[in-house]
Amino acid sequence: MATARARRGGAYWARSGRSRVVLGTLVALVTLWLVGPFLWLFVTSVSYQKHLMARPLSFVPPEVTLDNYRMIMGLVRFHAEGQAAKILPSMWNTLVVAGVVTAVNLVLGTTAGYAYARFRFPLRTVSLLALLFTRMLPTIVLIPAFFVIFRALGLQNTLSGLVVAYCSFTLPFTVWIMKAYFETVPADLDKSALVDGCNRLQAYYKVVLPVSGPGLVAGGAFTFMLCWNEFVVAQVLNTKPGTTTLPPVIAGMNGQINIDYSVIAASGFLGALPAVLLVLIFQKYMVQGLTAGSVKG
Amino acid sequence: MGKSGAGGLRLSEAGFAWLLVSPVLIGIALVVAVPLVYSLWLSFTDVNLLRTTGPALEAFGVRLPLYHWVGLKNYLQVFGDPLYWSSLWRTLYFVGAFVVEATVAGMAMALVLNERFPGRPLMRSLLLIPWSLSRIVVGLLWVGLLDFEFGALNALLQRAGLIDAYIAFFKDGWSSLNVLVSVYMWNQAPFATLLFLAGMQSIGEDLYAAAEVDGAGYWQRFRHVTLPSLRPIVFLVLVLCTVNGFLMLDLIYILTMGGPGYDTTTISWLGFQTTFKFFKFGPGTAILYTLTGLCLLLTLIYHRLILGGFEAEG
Repeated sequence: MATARARRGGAYWARSGRSRVVLGTLVALVTLWLVGPFLWLFVTSVSYQKHLMARPLSFVPPEVTLDNYRMIMGLVRFHAEGQAAKILPSMWNTLVVAGVVTAVNLVLGTTAGYAYARFRFPLRTVSLLALLFTRMLPTIVLIPAFFVIFRALGLQNTLSGLVVAYCSFTLPFTVWIMKAYFETVPADLDKSALVDGCNRLQAYYKVVLPVSGPGLVAGGAFTFMLCWNEFVVAQVLNTKPGTTTLPPVIAGMNGQINIDYSVIAASGFLGALPAVLLVLIFQKYMVQGLTAGSVKG
Repeated sequence: MGKSGAGGLRLSEAGFAWLLVSPVLIGIALVVAVPLVYSLWLSFTDVNLLRTTGPALEAFGVRLPLYHWVGLKNYLQVFGDPLYWSSLWRTLYFVGAFVVEATVAGMAMALVLNERFPGRPLMRSLLLIPWSLSRIVVGLLWVGLLDFEFGALNALLQRAGLIDAYIAFFKDGWSSLNVLVSVYMWNQAPFATLLFLAGMQSIGEDLYAAAEVDGAGYWQRFRHVTLPSLRPIVFLVLVLCTVNGFLMLDLIYILTMGGPGYDTTTISWLGFQTTFKFFKFGPGTAILYTLTGLCLLLTLIYHRLILGGFEAEG
């Protein structure tokens, strides 16, 4: 193993000085590229706009303030407080929609993924191909239909409508990720459960599901992230104030002359935090799930 | 593929499997198939959202308007519009540039992250940050870097002595379009890196050992060992990027709104605006359907090629 390691460039400290410098510089550059812009968003969100406009710009803010966040929370009165006051309620809407869609996906998508991974049944291949087809389908083409149908059903400007629309692009993905995951769970597990007297359903939820945590986390976190970040569907379907999610609200604030960039940056950072934390925490499982789901796709 | 169930239980296997998959299949039929067909129908009709009379499907007190069939009128109108064609060429440039940038950057980052250095696990977590952000936030934070008045990148370039005055990145169309490409690349390349890294880890050490024995240097090993082994994944990345490139919409909304003029108007933006800003649902859905056709065609080609490739390789 030691020699094998050496062949792939070797351990960092076993490298020559020059090679270490090159690698170290490259790693630093990649880190800066990945994290720098997001860190700068945070820096602007704790800065005063006047300091951002200063020439030369100081990369360490001369004065750190939480005023931008206070404005969003409604703790400070200011001229655009009406718009800033939409942030928190829309975050709540996003949380509800993303939470419900994730729950639906975990229950229905996981169950179907399990069946596709384990059993042969009539129309299996056909329905799998249909799923693959829907997975590749652009959501944007469904939105005009959602618009007219939801108007007829009274689902326009409701969170339920968003839940329905979001399931259209999350369910096929979840089934696919979970199918790929269950294929890595040994089938002997279910077999011995059946021998031990479980029926098929019990074998699934009493034996297989409890050891499928990583797969569930991968599928769930990915679904939640997609919904939390979704913009176009919410922007088009939920236009009534107070009914939409966070991304359209932030997009609406952007470019308004009366709102400082630093305030928008604060709402952007606050809005990004849940998804970023989720992904950082569950990174390992998500990477496994996503690469398995994509590469096999 | 697991085959479970033994003896007498095998009989009910298919029934049980159907019980498990039918909720999803019914759900997908309702939230994907029905809207898909209805959108297609709308693209052949004279949709007028204000009209409340005319043909409709009525059931349980719900009235779903069907509007009037106009044949290919919407499609002919779309294809007769020079803006459609100029948007299509622009889209092709956007997609081409994006695919190249994202693949190259994704591969470059993967090569760096595949080396051994202290803190590598942390780096792999950080990799996902750009990808886990909403595109609205992605656009927003790049405004903070590129803005003509307070952009940090402008300030950085000026301090380094590379520019005399702040650059107005969004002032002319060509620059705006290329900024869109690069910002989208920043957001998407990490996913390519993820796939490349997964692929690199499954390459056998013996291949590298053999190459080393033959006296191959770093780049030769990359060209003759890494790249050939990653071929299916490179291909997957190319296709995913192509489809994503065709569909990109939210960054345009937050950064350029299709402007200046029509200089960043792509097919997806044109379809979005026609449908939801001007409420011309007929021509709008027609545009969106041409886009869908393109994407599905690409996916089909991809599956042909990649599945064929896998079979050939065993």
